[in-house]
Amino acid sequence: MATYLEFIQQNEERDGVRFSWNVWPSSRLEATRMVVPLACLLTPLKERPDLPPVQYEPVLCSRPTCKAVLNPLCQVDYRAKLWACNFCFQRNQFPPAYGGISEVNQPAELMPQFSTIEYMIQRGAQSPLIFLYVVDTCLEEDDLQALKESLQMSLSLLPPDALVGLITFGRMVQVHELSCEGISKSYVFRGTKDLTAKQIQDMLGLTKPATPMQQARPAQPQEHPSVSSRFLQPVHKIDMNLTDLLGELQRDPWPVTQGKRPLRSTGVALSIAVGLLEGTFPNTGARIMLFTGGPPTQGPGMVVGDELKIPIRSWHDIEKDNARFMKKATKHYEMLANRTAANGHCIDIYACALDQTGLLEMKCCANLTGGYMVMGDSFNTSLFKQTFQRIFTKDFNGDFRMAFGATLDVKTSRELKIAGAIGPCVSLNVKGPCVSENELGVGGTSQWKICGLDPTSTLGIYFEVVNQHNAPIPQGGRGAIQFVTRYQHSSTQRRIRVTTIARNWADAQTQLRHIEAAFDQEAAAVLMARLGVFRAESEEGPDVLRWLDRQLIRLCQKFGQYNKEDPASFRLSDSFSLYPQFMFHLRRSPFLQVFNNSPDESSYYRHHFARQDLTQSLIMIQPILYSYSFHGPPEPVLLDSSSILADRILLMDTFFQIVIYLGETIAQWRKAGYQDMPEYENFKHLLQAPLDDAQEILQARFPMPRYINTEHGGSQARFLLSKVNPSQTHNNHYAWGQC
Amino acid sequence: MTRCPAGQAEVEMAELYVKPGNKERGWNDPPQFSYGLQTQAGGTRRTLLTKRVAAPQDGSPRVPASETSPGPPPMGPPPPSSKAPRSPPVGSDPASGVEPSFPVESEALMEDVLRPLEQALEDCRGHTKKQVCDDISRRLALLQEQWAGGKLSIPVKKRMTLLVQELSNHQWDAADDIHRSLMVDHVTEVSQWMVGVKRLIAEKRSLFSEEAANEEKSAATPEKNQTIPGFHQAP
Repeated sequence: MATYLEFIQQNEERDGVRFSWNVWPSSRLEATRMVVPLACLLTPLKERPDLPPVQYEPVLCSRPTCKAVLNPLCQVDYRAKLWACNFCFQRNQFPPAYGGISEVNQPAELMPQFSTIEYMIQRGAQSPLIFLYVVDTCLEEDDLQALKESLQMSLSLLPPDALVGLITFGRMVQVHELSCEGISKSYVFRGTKDLTAKQIQDMLGLTKPATPMQQARPAQPQEHPSVSSRFLQPVHKIDMNLTDLLGELQRDPWPVTQGKRPLRSTGVALSIAVGLLEGTFPNTGARIMLFTGGPPTQGPGMVVGDELKIPIRSWHDIEKDNARFMKKATKHYEMLANRTAANGHCIDIYACALDQTGLLEMKCCANLTGGYMVMGDSFNTSLFKQTFQRIFTKDFNGDFRMAFGATLDVKTSRELKIAGAIGPCVSLNVKGPCVSENELGVGGTSQWKICGLDPTSTLGIYFEVVNQHNAPIPQGGRGAIQFVTRYQHSSTQRRIRVTTIARNWADAQTQLRHIEAAFDQEAAAVLMARLGVFRAESEEGPDVLRWLDRQLIRLCQKFGQYNKEDPASFRLSDSFSLYPQFMFHLRRSPFLQVFNNSPDESSYYRHHFARQDLTQSLIMIQPILYSYSFHGPPEPVLLDSSSILADRILLMDTFFQIVIYLGETIAQWRKAGYQDMPEYENFKHLLQAPLDDAQEILQARFPMPRYINTEHGGSQARFLLSKVNPSQTHNNHYAWGQC
Repeated sequence: MTRCPAGQAEVEMAELYVKPGNKERGWNDPPQFSYGLQTQAGGTRRTLLTKRVAAPQDGSPRVPASETSPGPPPMGPPPPSSKAPRSPPVGSDPASGVEPSFPVESEALMEDVLRPLEQALEDCRGHTKKQVCDDISRRLALLQEQWAGGKLSIPVKKRMTLLVQELSNHQWDAADDIHRSLMVDHVTEVSQWMVGVKRLIAEKRSLFSEEAANEEKSAATPEKNQTIPGFHQAP
């Protein structure tokens, strides 16, 4: 039904929410029979240029176990100045400031068009953003030079009052004391020995307790004099000295003999970075940015030894339980990641090398804290340089898009419980009446912490319908969910975004058609995919595929129309028509198929999949394919070998790659130079059209994709050929009537 | 969205370029967009490539109409441009674009850039710490050395001329944006001394607002009714 597509789109634009089902089955039993769980993709900080934040604090329900935020679903008695919480039915008095409200003078948060609203918190000291660079010096000369230049450039992109710090590492770890005068000093640590947070803080002379930033004191408009430390200084004070310091960085001086890898103490370097921030600036927005050009080879967190003849673990090694360092290293980084998340900081990993760098073991650092993971071949590439620049992009208001220290609190009406969340978050272990015992993803809580996020960060949140079969919901009844995200905006001010949604219940026995029509196949595909990828982290690959296939079969059994024993009669309604395709491509995707990827590559792909919004996630599951020809405007075509034609140009977007493929005839024409002849100007335009569209994607996407321009018979055509459904092969190319 | 507000037409054009990626160091390295193009991105997108096609439900393979019999299709020329061409391309191939050439005016003069910068530094001497001034001075000397030694490319020189103009007109944000664009697009050439220019812009800006605040105070005290004509408080 066209109206549901509009409804879905409007809701996504306004609330940043996409539900798998938009009409909810009213009993637990029926909900489980739907196969796809009731779940949603939530983009907490979705860009809303039309929604300026309100300058007051939200009104909360007074029941201590509820504390839901006043929203358009609440019943209001304007004369008595009372409101009834729609989640717990508590009657609350409006605060005195609301004395003037009436039916014709409603506060914004009661108006239906403000189902999503953002509040600005005025009180409390505002602490600056912190950027701690942790830089590997075991790089080749031109790589190190390119990295140094990118870091120097970044000083021009950081806000002037942000704090910045530098730790370099190789065989040893050096914490640089930043000062404006005299000789630059640094503290050197051995890269082999891990230290506790307290030891690190003692050795750096940070034993005096840090000024807590989150207390509500009288507002101090001036910069607090002790808001900085010897290791973290404001950009506007230190940029010249730091530029020089970066310029003078040398390659790690320890010689690397033939047949050996450099000794890289990434584990200790990261540990010191985490300890430094923990001791000086807990609970304030900070990014630890790790730049590394190879695997950790020394100390805790080492991923491979220094003998080149022993390669770094592959998937084969892992399956055969032959990855010597993996468990211990993963444990080390998980411990660091959890501490960092507890401190409200995030860790980014920028790994540029031709071989693996240990992303498999280190991925929790980015995944649990909401930090970024960027994987490239060298720091001297456009892919790294531009991806890194894009971290500092500004929004329509001239603020950074990055946000920090978010907590997401989910509340549901009593017929629903929360099963869990999948995304760049950690659990805050908040139990309560909304929390289900059946866990999907990170469960057992109604609150999560997302230390680093931006306007595209998206969580998958899974619910459970708990209403019993024999307690029907009155006709027209609606279930409600509220998402409250408290975070630190890049302008350092604290904000709260509140989204409250409601959907109708329906009796699946009598109204299955309605439930069916309101199915969002795109959201369902991404939510099921996230579940699959989550499982793949702990289960065997084939088991996950079998689970996925079983779910697809059950869904088709439930919602397909068919005559028994007659496969050709099988039909799915429009709202399910793309779903089987999505599942087909998902099971072949690098998220569930590790073949042909290293463990690092698989970790990289999965990292981005678990946090992107719906549109980008779908592109990753089933790449977009557009066909350009003389026969009409560019059109989407089936991701199938039958779309590869001699007289077409194809543009494929897999999210990680943009591929332009010229059909055989087009390639021949281009070789013959028709595009340079004035009477064939339309051919020139035809060649240009996909390039322009590719450019639009390349200009905006984070991380920057690889760019492949190829043609029929070219070796790079394999990127296209491996993605399309091979409906036509040498077996069936000339035969009709076979699938 | 930050836009580069400064710029005569040629310099603006020169700021919107695309260079190929580094093919030697990264396989399929994407093209490099200039700062100007990057800050432009995110505006209205012409096309949104997000549509998909459903597979036919009857299970027949989609054999397209133009594939007929086996054997190589005859290769004639493409259909000639008889109709009006479609919308003209916006840019060149992202992978092979080259900085567009524009008519070169008189070569940017080193003195036109350095003199105002040195003057600005002098203005700041009372207001800024000695060490910072010395550091900026050192970097300006480096800039002069590199310029005189022919080590700076034409786009850098042109943009520096613009930067200095904006600085002289007290357009701090514009000057700052040009410094950023130079750091992003030409970091190798400018990194050693650009941070000095950046600091100079910041010091000039704070000096200017201090002076404006002092003037406002001294104007307010003698007679409350008398406003100095034409005076505007700096934001």
